[in-house]
Amino acid sequence: MSDVLLTDVINGLAALILLFAFVMVAGARMHQIIRAYTLGSLALGLLAAAVAYYTQADHIYIVAILTIVLKVIVIPRFLDYTVDRIKVKKEVEPLVSIPGSLLICGALTFIAYYITSPIIAQGSVITKNCLAISLAVVLIGFFVIIARRKAMTEIVGLLMMENGLFLAAISLTYGMPMIVEIGIFFDVLVAAIIMGIFAFKINHTFETVDTTFMRRLRD
Amino acid sequence: MDQIYIDIVLSVLQALLLLAVAPLITGIIRKIKAYAQQRQGASILQPYRDIAKYFHKDSVVSRETSWIFSVTPYISMAAVLIAALIVPVFITRTLGFVGDLIVVVYLLGTVRFFTALAALDAGSAFGGMGSSREMMVSSIVEPTMLLSIFAMGLISGTTSLGSIASALSISGIDLVRPALFLASAAFLISTIAENARVPVDNPTTHLELTMIHEGMILEYSGKKLGLMELSSMTRLVLYFTILSNVFFPWGIANDLSVISLGVGLVAILGKVLFLALVIAIIESSISKLRLFRLPNLLTVSFTLALLAVMSFYIL
Repeated sequence: MSDVLLTDVINGLAALILLFAFVMVAGARMHQIIRAYTLGSLALGLLAAAVAYYTQADHIYIVAILTIVLKVIVIPRFLDYTVDRIKVKKEVEPLVSIPGSLLICGALTFIAYYITSPIIAQGSVITKNCLAISLAVVLIGFFVIIARRKAMTEIVGLLMMENGLFLAAISLTYGMPMIVEIGIFFDVLVAAIIMGIFAFKINHTFETVDTTFMRRLRD
Repeated sequence: MDQIYIDIVLSVLQALLLLAVAPLITGIIRKIKAYAQQRQGASILQPYRDIAKYFHKDSVVSRETSWIFSVTPYISMAAVLIAALIVPVFITRTLGFVGDLIVVVYLLGTVRFFTALAALDAGSAFGGMGSSREMMVSSIVEPTMLLSIFAMGLISGTTSLGSIASALSISGIDLVRPALFLASAAFLISTIAENARVPVDNPTTHLELTMIHEGMILEYSGKKLGLMELSSMTRLVLYFTILSNVFFPWGIANDLSVISLGVGLVAILGKVLFLALVIAIIESSISKLRLFRLPNLLTVSFTLALLAVMSFYIL
């Protein structure tokens, strides 16, 4: 495959990641958001595989497979299970209305592109355009954490930020050393499970996962 | 001078092709939906028979209506056909000197405007409801459509639809950019919204809670109803053609040789059939959205189109 075509494939996959990030912001139900996360992670895994093909670095293939196994199969299943177990309403209940959050996320994307433009102008790697999208996904994930009420959506926001960070790592440095990658994957998995258990506990104690009620937390 | 005559003949042929296959595509979508619901379904030629039946019947027009009601079917059919003259179908040569993408978008806007006016004109409750809903939807969809086609115009450096298609198809894969995905996703959502398909509107229902487009044409009957139906079917195929030839124009003919014309014809039919399949799958797998949820979906498409335009300047 020529470099130009490979760049197009990588940029296209990055655009898909951004697209699914927006779908996650627009989603009104938990299961919808988890589906969007799954698809976004699948695009991320394929992007990692494309980078591995370009750099001929075999360990990135392993990273790609790990991404797909963990973020496309394990974590979404666990999140689905948690949502079903909590038995609360599955609607998302945003603090900022969904059209409003979409426009804000659009603005965040512009900011991400603007901030990264000096770096992109200097870079020589073929994945440099992904940097803006990765920063945008991190910002959007942060926004989701701020602007949603339910503890579950905050977990999804954190996972989204992690996807953005992974994209940044792979697009600038063509992947970190293997041991670091595996450590990060393990971290994410454990974080998702622990936060899921927290969500159970919060639900058990307060009978809701609405974090605006958490100010009642006292000793 | 000959050049212009050839272009005129080609445009007329392309518009007639769209008009001729429009009921067929609608029939195919219905057939696929029927199979998805484990039904036999009507023949794919049924829309032709329906329209022929409408044209053999007289129109009943309320005495309270004004000329707007009577003239709307003709205006909407004419506007769709003029738009079809400008859109490239199997060859990139069209009446590009008459109008560009802005003209196409606003010709379709004219159709919407007059349909809504005519629905108000008859004075029935459903008409008013349908047109207010239609205007709510179109207020977000119209900028989305313009922006998403603008993104393609920016990439190829022209606003003429034929030139966009030829620029993209000649330069091949090099012009594929992230903007293309974002803009085409935005345009697909606006196609669904503009043509009264699920999840925005249900074209087959007559329940008051779900009607948008149906509510507006409820007062029409006979020949006028036939014209309205035919124009909305043609409009659907027109959107499919824009989607396939502006965003993914590969295969379209750039010259007059028989081989490239044949390839162009096969390519456009294949792409339109594929889009019909996509629409049918979407319609059978998603239920209709609540009206107040619609702005969420439409804002997604607006934001995507906006990003597509901006990413051109930044990347």
